[in-house]
Amino acid sequence: MIARMRESLQAVLGPVSEPVLLAGGASKEAWAVDAGGERLLVRRAAVGVIHRHTLSLRQEFEVLSAAYEAGVKAPRPIAYLDDLDGREAFVMERLEGETIGRRIVRMDVPAELPVQMAEEIAKIHAIPRTRLPFLEDARLERMVEELDEFGEPHPAIELGLWWLRENRPPAREPVVVHGDFRIGNLVVDERGLVGVLDWEFAHVDDPVRDLAFSLVRAWRFGVPERRLGGIGDAEPYVDRYNELTSFDVRAEELDYWELAGNVGWAIGCLTQAQRHLRGQDRSVELAVLGRLGAEVEYEICHLLERVGVV
Amino acid sequence: MSERPTAQELTEAIAEFLGGEILPILDDHRLRFRTLVAMNALSIVHRELAALPQEDDAGRRELARRIRAGEVPPGTLAAVKADVEARLQVTSPRYLDGY
Repeated sequence: MIARMRESLQAVLGPVSEPVLLAGGASKEAWAVDAGGERLLVRRAAVGVIHRHTLSLRQEFEVLSAAYEAGVKAPRPIAYLDDLDGREAFVMERLEGETIGRRIVRMDVPAELPVQMAEEIAKIHAIPRTRLPFLEDARLERMVEELDEFGEPHPAIELGLWWLRENRPPAREPVVVHGDFRIGNLVVDERGLVGVLDWEFAHVDDPVRDLAFSLVRAWRFGVPERRLGGIGDAEPYVDRYNELTSFDVRAEELDYWELAGNVGWAIGCLTQAQRHLRGQDRSVELAVLGRLGAEVEYEICHLLERVGVV
Repeated sequence: MSERPTAQELTEAIAEFLGGEILPILDDHRLRFRTLVAMNALSIVHRELAALPQEDDAGRRELARRIRAGEVPPGTLAAVKADVEARLQVTSPRYLDGY
């Protein structure tokens, strides 16, 4: 299989080193190859999909290309391959740096990292919709529909959804969003942000929802006191974003979407466990996520207390 | 049954992991033997769990239904939070230390 893959890659890229499968990534495989002195990464479909509403690899390649053209720090897109040993794939630059969230929060990262994150997400939100016409609009109702498919009662998630329905801030003009912008999907080194990865959740949505996703407690990787992804405070991040976009994001709006991010991830944990339970992808890791969703539900309760629900 | 995977389903996931991913890479026959014994112990737990009465989740189901219908009287959040905390005491007790 590796030999066939190498042959297909050589047809496009010229001589390449033997592809090496990298760890992680349940829905996509990642292979490291070198070609013409360049470090490359091949992202290839794996069996089973993480989520019904993700982009195809062809679309993800288009989004990455649009982001790269817009000057977003992201891996340089190289080529899309519709058949790499039987599955679709694309090739991009392999950036050097740390991508494991749990390690990033323990690294000596520069104090500018929150500002650097704001600069990249602001550039993403400025990509014209017309550049990526296939991107779909988000609907908050989708969360409810997913939850209803499981048939399990989760009062904390219900309470979160109820509060979100009752307190929705005025709608903003939807923009192109990354959809999963958080520590863990960034490449970081000692100088700060190297690149933004994992564009498969890109869609069109309220920009503040995307901005607030990196505040979700689960993405603080064990450093809960640092609200922005376990690496810093939210204020410099939001202030810089407001400077660049003139969106004037208010604190309550950020709180609202942080709560929405938690509700979404609580449902996401159940979705992941369903992949195991339905036999699409049997794995202890996914099974345990179904139970760890209780952590996210606790955070939902905590945030509801903070906004004054009794 | 509202906590999925159930305890029994978790033992199945562990047994599949041990049998499918660990056993095939063990060369040391003492380790192989102990892994097989561990899998057998797990199957005892699995059968024992099958004999236990199922968790009654009628209360949780009713609470979820009411909240969906917009019935959220004062005290609802406290009740919901206590329920989540009780689940966390089983699933991830150290998580609560972060609050």
